[in-house]
Amino acid sequence: MRPAVLNPSLAVLALVLFLSSMAVGPADLGLSESIRGLFAGGGEAAAIIMREIRLPRALLGLGIGFTLGIAGAVLQGFLRNPLAEPGIIGVSATAAFGAVAIFYTGLAGASLYSLPLGALMGALLAVIVLIALAARTNSTLTLILAGVALSSLSGALTSLVLNLSTNPFASYEIIFWLLGSLKDRSMEHVILAVPLMAAGWILIAISARAVDALSLGEEAAASLGIHMGRARLFVILGVALGVGAATAVAGTIGFVGLVVPHLIRPLTNRLPSRLLLPAGLGGAALLLAADVAARLVLPAGELNVGVLTALIGAPFFLWLVVRAGREVFT
Amino acid sequence: MMTSCRKHASLFSGMALYAGATLVAPALLWPQPVLAGARPPARVMSLNLCTDQLAMALAAPGQLASISFLARDPTLSPLYRQAQNFPVNRGLAEEVFLAQPDLVVTGTYSLHNTTGLLRRLGFRVEEFSFIQTVETIPEEIRRMGKLLGHEAVAETLAASFEAELQQVAAHQCPYRPVALVYDQNGIALGRGTLADSVLSVAGFRNLAAEAGVEGMAPFPLELVVEKKPDLIITPSGYEDAPSLGDRVPHHAALQMLKDSRIGPFVPSSAWSCGGPAVIEAVKVLAELRDEIASCSEAQ
Repeated sequence: MRPAVLNPSLAVLALVLFLSSMAVGPADLGLSESIRGLFAGGGEAAAIIMREIRLPRALLGLGIGFTLGIAGAVLQGFLRNPLAEPGIIGVSATAAFGAVAIFYTGLAGASLYSLPLGALMGALLAVIVLIALAARTNSTLTLILAGVALSSLSGALTSLVLNLSTNPFASYEIIFWLLGSLKDRSMEHVILAVPLMAAGWILIAISARAVDALSLGEEAAASLGIHMGRARLFVILGVALGVGAATAVAGTIGFVGLVVPHLIRPLTNRLPSRLLLPAGLGGAALLLAADVAARLVLPAGELNVGVLTALIGAPFFLWLVVRAGREVFT
Repeated sequence: MMTSCRKHASLFSGMALYAGATLVAPALLWPQPVLAGARPPARVMSLNLCTDQLAMALAAPGQLASISFLARDPTLSPLYRQAQNFPVNRGLAEEVFLAQPDLVVTGTYSLHNTTGLLRRLGFRVEEFSFIQTVETIPEEIRRMGKLLGHEAVAETLAASFEAELQQVAAHQCPYRPVALVYDQNGIALGRGTLADSVLSVAGFRNLAAEAGVEGMAPFPLELVVEKKPDLIITPSGYEDAPSLGDRVPHHAALQMLKDSRIGPFVPSSAWSCGGPAVIEAVKVLAELRDEIASCSEAQ
């Protein structure tokens, strides 16, 4: 499909799901009432619900979905590994541990700003370890196994820190950090995360040409005049910024970055750079849809959105593994 | 509601003691096998946050061998300062066996296994129901007084509690503003909780109870905004151990409710256990009720 058709159609899909997200919630608001609340403002209940509760939630769904999609696409291209994804290779889990380690120990007070700070450091550490590892070996399997180890370790440390907190409510939040949620977010979270995610998108977009050249092999890329050191740095920083900020406000949401690039790649000319934008839009659409479903499936309690993305993504992951068979795992 | 109890108990073992303090299940008030003229027990151990409160208020110096460790937590225990003066236990049968007390007082929730084991080992165990309302508190005070051999002290305490309750009740008026106790993670305290009875005695309607919340259950933020309660009581929070759940009752959407009074008007410990300290919460809320809608204006 030509980009001129593919990108607008995915953008329309994401927009429709964004609007659906704004329409779903426990308060029984009519269509006209919610539209008036969103645009007219004022102190009416409908206005507060639309602007302070549903809008931040939908904006975060859009931004975080875009981030996970684009990060998955760039990692798959850059690492030349079809199974690479922020969740599977352990970047999300390490980011969550970073956020938890700084926030719950009270090192930075109760300030929300400590969340992205910790998450960025965690994500950065994970991406550096993984890219260093990938530079030493060409095996797809090694990277995935390293990711499994990183995820398990970070998950265990996250649970440990939360259990050790003297606040008895902290241990409830293990579920949030391991499975992710967009429940009860506010504009504060949007302001905290969106600029950092946008910076990540830009860095990833700048490195797109290098990732294309890299699909011809490192020597070929170098002969095309691509500065590999700089490209590597941009990918590391871009993924760490984006996934770190996303995880800081929504916990670990897995598999979006795996499923979406694979679904969309056949619709592109298979150049990694051409996949980035549609993968971002597709990621936004998938996360928004999952977040709408999370509210509809269990209206009283609300499901963690990471449960739904895993229900879609994990069987898909298995299918990829089976289909790829031996040729990938060398 | 029961699911949330189980989560409490499994995620954080100590919470079992706390959960017993606030959550609700079928009521069973045990018969009181107190022997007339028996000597008061010399050494008493309390395994539950709620029995801690009653025992600390009524025991003679040296009579209380230990209390539960939760009694020292300022967010759960109204008498947390006093609790520093007693040794603490974690509600384990082993601790009781080593201490060999003459009497063990505990709650009926979640420590069934411990209680059964202790009875088999020959300890005298007295259980207090964890269904608590403002109205049941004086009887609980009297029962604990009898068990500890200090009926006179207990009677004075219970009578003054009843008198103060009477006084608040005398100031009731037909208009009852709507209140919501909005706790960590957006959990509301609904029908059957101690908080519900405190709100009712102080002259408020409980939004959560009217919306059908039984016990403690999540209450969507959107519904709080939609219903605009006159009063939203938020938790005081843990200063040195932050959690994300602490932030939900302080969400920006609630700050925009101009006609609602929002704040930690009553310390969270007031709802955790029915004890003499609950009357303070009743009085604070009754005053707030008067500020929101004075009876003379309503008439």
